[in-house]
Parts: sequence; C-alpha cells; structure tokens
Amino acid sequence: MERTVPHAVPLGQVEVFQALERLHMTVFSQSVSPCGKFLAAGNNYGQIAIFSLSAALSSEAKEESKKPVVTFQAHDGPVYSMVSTDRQLLSAGDGEVKAWLWAEILKKGSKELWRRQPPYRTSLEVPEINALLLVPKENSLILAGGDCQLHTMDLETGAFTRALRGHTDYIHCLALRERSPEVLSGGEDGAVRLWDLRMAKEVQTIEVYKHEECSRPHNGRWIGCLATDSDWMVCGGGPALTLWHLRSSTPTTIFPMRAPQKHVTFYQDLVLTAAGNSCRVDVFTNLGYRAFSLSF
Amino acid sequence: MSSESSKKRKPKVIRSEGVPAEGKRNRGDTEQEGKYYSEEAEVDLRDPGRDYELYKYTCQELQRLMAEIQDLKSRGGKDMAVEIEERRIQSCVHFMTLKKLNRLAHIRLKKGRDQTHEAKQKVDAYHLQLQNLLYEVMHLQKEITKCLEFKSKHEEIDLVSLEEFYQEAPADISKAEVTMGDSHQQTLARLDWELEQRKRLAEKYRESLSNKEKILKEIEVKKEYLSSLQPRLNSIMQASLPVQEYLFMPFDQAHKQYETARHLPPPLYVLFVQATAYGQACDKTLSVAIEGSVDEAKALFKPPEDSQDDESDSDAEEEQTTKRRRPTLGVQLDDKRKEMLKRHPLSVMLDLKCKDESVLHLTFYYLMNLNIMTVKAKVTTAMELITPISAGDLLSPDSVMSCLYPGDHGKKTPNPANQYQFDKVGILTLRDYVLDLGHPYLWVQKLGGLHFPKEQPQHTVIADHSLSASHMETTMKLLKTRVQSRLALHKQFASLEHGIVPVTSDCQYLCPAKVVSRLVKWVTMAHEDYMELHFTKDIVEAGLAEDTNLYYMALIERGTAKLQAAVVLNPGYSSIPPVFQLCLNWKGEKTNNNDDNIRAMESEVNVCYKELCGARPGHQLLTNQLQRLCVLLDVYLETESHDDSVEGPKEFPQEKMCLRLFRGPSRVKPFKYNHPQGFFSHR
Repeated sequence: MERTVPHAVPLGQVEVFQALERLHMTVFSQSVSPCGKFLAAGNNYGQIAIFSLSAALSSEAKEESKKPVVTFQAHDGPVYSMVSTDRQLLSAGDGEVKAWLWAEILKKGSKELWRRQPPYRTSLEVPEINALLLVPKENSLILAGGDCQLHTMDLETGAFTRALRGHTDYIHCLALRERSPEVLSGGEDGAVRLWDLRMAKEVQTIEVYKHEECSRPHNGRWIGCLATDSDWMVCGGGPALTLWHLRSSTPTTIFPMRAPQKHVTFYQDLVLTAAGNSCRVDVFTNLGYRAFSLSF
Repeated sequence: MSSESSKKRKPKVIRSEGVPAEGKRNRGDTEQEGKYYSEEAEVDLRDPGRDYELYKYTCQELQRLMAEIQDLKSRGGKDMAVEIEERRIQSCVHFMTLKKLNRLAHIRLKKGRDQTHEAKQKVDAYHLQLQNLLYEVMHLQKEITKCLEFKSKHEEIDLVSLEEFYQEAPADISKAEVTMGDSHQQTLARLDWELEQRKRLAEKYRESLSNKEKILKEIEVKKEYLSSLQPRLNSIMQASLPVQEYLFMPFDQAHKQYETARHLPPPLYVLFVQATAYGQACDKTLSVAIEGSVDEAKALFKPPEDSQDDESDSDAEEEQTTKRRRPTLGVQLDDKRKEMLKRHPLSVMLDLKCKDESVLHLTFYYLMNLNIMTVKAKVTTAMELITPISAGDLLSPDSVMSCLYPGDHGKKTPNPANQYQFDKVGILTLRDYVLDLGHPYLWVQKLGGLHFPKEQPQHTVIADHSLSASHMETTMKLLKTRVQSRLALHKQFASLEHGIVPVTSDCQYLCPAKVVSRLVKWVTMAHEDYMELHFTKDIVEAGLAEDTNLYYMALIERGTAKLQAAVVLNPGYSSIPPVFQLCLNWKGEKTNNNDDNIRAMESEVNVCYKELCGARPGHQLLTNQLQRLCVLLDVYLETESHDDSVEGPKEFPQEKMCLRLFRGPSRVKPFKYNHPQGFFSHR
C-alpha cells in the first residue's frame, strides 16, 4: 500500500525551524551542580539547559528523563564556558560572565545573580570569553578569551584585580596547577604559557608547534585543550594530543588520535577526552564506552 | 276490715239478689266512701308497731281458740257447742281484726308506695332538670367554642402590610385617628382598602383585555396585507426582467445559477454557497461557476438510488447476462471499479485571480459512492511561460497544490470507510486514480463541509456549512500565496539554470557587491537520490526529507574549489525555508561531519533564514540563500590559514574585510556580513 514515512507527523513551520535549530546546535560547555544531581549545558544559541542526572542515570529512565528539566536564554551569544562554585553557576560567553544561583535555577524565569565584564582594551568588537577557572585559595575567578589576556576577578567584591598579557592570539583554555598557584593557558598562537598568580608574571612558555613529534601543520598550531596534574600536562588541538613533563618541558607521550581534541581532563590517572560537535552531550561511564547521550 | 269484706261480699250478694242490692250499694258506696276516707285517716293515727303487736296477739288468740275448739270438739258434749260457738264468734272477731289489720297493712303499703312514687317522681323531675341543664351547658359550651373558633373569611385575605396601608390608603378610608387605637376598626378599614384596590385592578384588567383584543385584530389585518403583498412582488419582478436586461444587471443569471445549484450534491452545494459568499464579501478576485449537465444530475434521482454498489452491480450484471455472454471477471471488476469511482455530473469551478494577472483554476468534483470531494488545479498566466527543465514539477497540476497544509499530500482517501469499499473491488489505493479524478486533499473536504474524524469514525458524514466557512478564508489565502510563490520560483529557476542568481534590487544589501564564486549548475534531483547522498544523513534522520518535497542540486565553483549544495524545497515555500546541505571539495572533502566551518555555513542559510527573506511575502528567499552561499564560500576560501608545510602562495588572497579570522572554541570563520559597513564578523 502506501510507503511508510519515517516521521508520520506532518511538520509545520515551527517544527521545521526547531528541527533545523537542533541540527545546527553545538554544546560548548557543561558543569555539574554542587550536589551532583544536575548537569548544566550551554550551547551556541546562548541557552543553558539543566538536566537531571539522577533521573537520567536511574534504572527507570525514560525518553523524557533525557530531556532538560528547564531551559532558559542565558546570553545573547554562545555560552563558551561554565564553572560551578559551591552555590553558584558561572557562565561566560560574549564578553561577560554571569552568575546564577543553583538553588534558584530550577525555577522557571530565574534571573542572573550578577554579571561582570572585564575591562577590555578594544571597543570595536566585544571579545568572547573562552575559559573560566576557579582559584579556590584566593576565592577568585580567572577569565580568558578573545582579547588575549587573562583577567582575575575577586568573587567577593567583583573587582578585576589582574590582567596578564603575553599571548599573541586569543586564548582557548586554562588549567590550574594547585601546588604552586600557577595557571596554564593555551591559545591560538600555539603556545602554552604558565603564569605565577602571586607575582602576576609569565614564568614558562612551551611552544608546542615547534616540537616536531607532535606538530601537525595541516591542522594549524592552536592549542584547544589543556589539563594538568601539577607535574604533568596534557594538551592538544592543532598539534597532536601530547603528555608533557612540565619541569623539563619535554613531550613524553603522543596519543594517537586523528581529530583535533576539544576537551580533555585527568580523572584518577585516566584521561577522558571529547571531540564532539552536535547538540548531544555524550556520557562516558566507562573509559572508551559511550553509554548514552543527553540531548537538547 | 269488715267493711272491706262486706264490700267484697256485698257485690256478690247484690248480684244474686238483684235490684235492692243496688240501692244498698249506693249507700254502701257513700258509706264506703266515708269509710274509705276514715280508714285512710285511721292509718295515719294508728301506730304500726302496735298494730303489729295486735296482729301477733290476734294470731295467738286464734291459735288458742282453735286449740280450745279442737279440745272441745275432741271432748265432745253439748254444752260444748255453745263454747265452741263462743269461741267461733271470738275467732270470727279475731278474723275481722286480722282482716282490718290486713287492710290497714295494705293501706299503709299503698301509702308508702305512693309516697315513694311521689318522691321518686320528684327526683326524676330534678334529674331531668339536671340533665336538661347539663345539656344546655354543653350546648352552650359548644356554641362558645364554635364562636371562638370562628374564622372570618376576612383573615384569609392577604392584606397589605400596615405601613403600606397607612402610606397608600387615602385618608377617608384609613381614618388614622380612629383606626390606630381600635384594631377592629383598623381591620375594617384595611378590608375596605382591599376592596377598593381590587375594584380598581379589576377595572384595569378589563381595560387591558379589551386592548389586547384590539391589537390582535390589528395584527390580523396586517398579516393579511402582507400575504397579499407576495404575489404583487412576484408580478413586479416579472415585469422588471426586460429592465434588467436593458441595464445589464445579471440578477437573473445569478438566480439561474442558484437554480442549477439546487441539483448539486450536498458537499458541492456547501462549497458553492460558501465560496460565493466569500467572494462577494471579502474577495472580488474569486469567481464561482457550476459546470456539467443538469439533466444527468436530475436523472440520478429518477430510478432507485444506485449509490449502493451491490444493488447496482447486481442490476448491471443481470442486464449483461440477459443481453450477451457473461463477460470476463476482469471486465466485471473493472466496471465495478468505474462504478465506485463515479463522479457526480456537476462540478464547481473556482477561479482565483492573482495580482500579476495569473489565474488559478480549481475544479471540484464529488465522488458519489465514496462521499469525498476531489480537485483538479490549473494555473494560467497572462503570458506564455517557458518552463525551465528544473521547474517541471513546480506548476504541474499533480503537485502544485500538494501539502497546502502540512502533511496534506492528497494521495490517500480521507474517508476511512472507503477502505472497505476498495477491498470489495480490488482497488489498492486512490493514488492510482488521482490523475484522472483529481486529488482528495483534506482542505477540499473541509471546504465542502465534510469532516472525517479519526478518533470516532462516523457512520454517515454530512456536509456542514460552518466547517466550510471557518476554513474558507485561510485556504483561499494559502492558495493565492502558493500560486504566487510557485510562479516566483518558476521565474527564478529560469534564471538559475543559466548560472545567474537573480537577486532583486531590494535584497542587494544582504551581500557585498563583489561576489566571486559562481553558480554553475542547478538541476532537479529525485527523492531517492537525495536520500543516497552521504552528506544529507542528518536531514533525513530529522524527518525533513519527505517524498512530498522537491529536491535540487546546486554547484558553486571558485577556482579549484567546488561546493555542492543539496536543497530540500518544501511545498510550503516560502513560509517553510529550503534546507541546504553542503559538501566542499577543496583540499579534501569537507562536510558538516568533519569541518565546523561547513556547519557554520549551513547554519547561516538554514537557521538564519529570516534575515534572507526579503520583502513580504518572501518569495526571494531561495535566491538570497544561494547568493549568500556564494559569499560564504568566498569568505571560507579567502580566510583559510596558510599551511606552512606546503609551498606556494595562497590560492585565494584575502579581499574581505574581517575583524578576526577565528573565534571561540570551535574556531569558526567570520561568516556574518555587516551591512552597510561591509565587513565580516562572527555571530
């Protein structure tokens, strides 16, 4: 008789537009709530969605449990990075960082607690903030992004205390080396720079692309992701994903992955990475095994 | 005593003796009378106790004498006889005494009785009196209670309350000074007032009744007048016919159409009425006409209704068997099918004129046995159109009306009951017959007032005017937009096939003046081919690639770079945007799977399409999107960072003004064009 169509529901204008939005959505950032039950994800349309991890991971999870509990428009531009303090969710995108209370965020129509914009030098274009880093010892937040500087903001007063300059192109990622309070930053210029927070100075520079073992010129020289374990550092992006020994600034292991890596983190001696560009957040419960995906 | 006995004896003696006794008797009577009274008196004088003693003594004496007599008699002797005689005389005397005593006793008894009787009588009299009195008392008591219980009728009347009474009653009735003190007078006064009011109201009632009678009579008169008007009006209308013709006012023509409309089947009738009404009220560009043979329509009703296929089939079969050899099964089935799909001889034609002089001709048919309506569409333009190869399907009658509402593809019958009818005659689906019969779109059924609800299939579906009216305006507007968008696309395709992207002057601002990439190819593609492409899997999975859509392939080139764009055109263009999927062949094959920039380019045309719509109604969307793609390819190629390991200059020098080349974690190129400054930035 009639050939069955995959989607029997006729799509009107609204449904088509929603489907197109989802197809072209990218999730840039995520953060787990302090209680561990919720996951916040930020996308390229400036929306933040809160998922209930406890519902999605439970044994009786249904399709609806993988949908967001609440979604709201947080920024005008994409939400490039998010971190959580013990009470707040901080999100940053086009030029400003906003804070939301985790306790309030699940209620629809919640408003931001505060928003701050670091002092930028240029006014022609508002630079994006690609990375946020919390420094618990100082109770401060470090922002880095399009204007090639690292800004430090005191979380209590909201004042911007330092601006560290040194990168020649915009900064992609930050990592904190806890023992000596140092910050690592990786940028488009291909260099990983180490900064001492107390002296507010750059102490070490590693130009990854200059090392032949890991450089991949056809991809470019940009450093997309950084993770550090005080003595060791993993970074990747244009060059291959490499494990470095920091004191001697030498690359020790090159991971054989073809695609440029977007996110990497150390977890109990294991390394977890993701190179995704879709509207899905992949959840790995075992190394190398993708259990399921959360979807916007 | 002796008188008594003499009384008694004497009558006896007298009787025996005769006359002289009477005289003695008379005397005796008076003597007796005298004696009677003296004995009566004697009784009162003598003492009853002494008499009783005397009686006892006399009895004793008698006994003694008898005993002596006895003695003497027993003794015998002559002298005894004198003693016996003496004693006998004594005893006679004693007997006399006894008799007297007896008499006296009787008299006493009688007296006693008389006295008792008297006393009794008195007592009785008193008793009677007492009873009489008691009876009278009771009677009086009853009367009293009756009187006390007496409710005068006046208490049953609901009188107006006191305050109202004093307010309303005129002074001569209410007599306040008198009635305030005396409740009896007050009640009387109130009753008076009540009576007064009732009289007045009765008066009013009579008046109203007479009024009503009058008015009824007037109504009658007017009714008669009106009913006599109708035939006069008819005669005026007849007389005015020649005037109508003289003045070219076609009231009669409309009238004739209404006459024909009476023979339309109900859904077509609903459509006709609603469309005519809509045309007259809201839209002068709509014209309605009825085509077909009225005689055939009339003929349908003469023999018994052959809408039941079994009946008609058996009739047809019988006819055939009597006339010639039994035809083959296939031919029989064919005939049955034809019978089932038979159309009503009358059809309604709607003509919609659009602004640019093109006309959409819609012919609506009614399939009698299936109880559905179908439509055939045709578009005619003011000037002859040269159809470009790729535009073949745009205006074809088969697909021009497809999916006017989302999902309404018109290939399946909307009436669920038809499936059972089809099974009987071996029809798989109506799709095979739509070219001939017309498309049974859902909006066509709604315009005819037919509603086939999925949840509760109804036994018989009848045409409903309100359903038609509620859908008429939207559908007409959609039809017009559809025709105009198709015609616009038609024109655009003609230009695209020659490699020119026809951007209208009011949309020039969307792209920079200098665009180097060129469109070299624009062809249609089949649905299956689209599904086979490797870079369109996402669209297919999202359900956006259905068989009712139209598919095209565009090729944009610059230098050695070739960009393939697979386009999905929804019939609902331009409210539903075309969707592009890109594949770039330049230094390797890049699609949205492996290159974020390709994704960003797709996003620019697919998601941000609202900027590219241009002026309403937005039919320029496709050409603007294509032009935008050319610009995006330019930006992509020019901003590609130079690979240090490869020798030689860049193939495409950067000519576009960009603030920054990369931004954000995904490092996308600046694809957003800013007008009028003319530089590129990131979203």
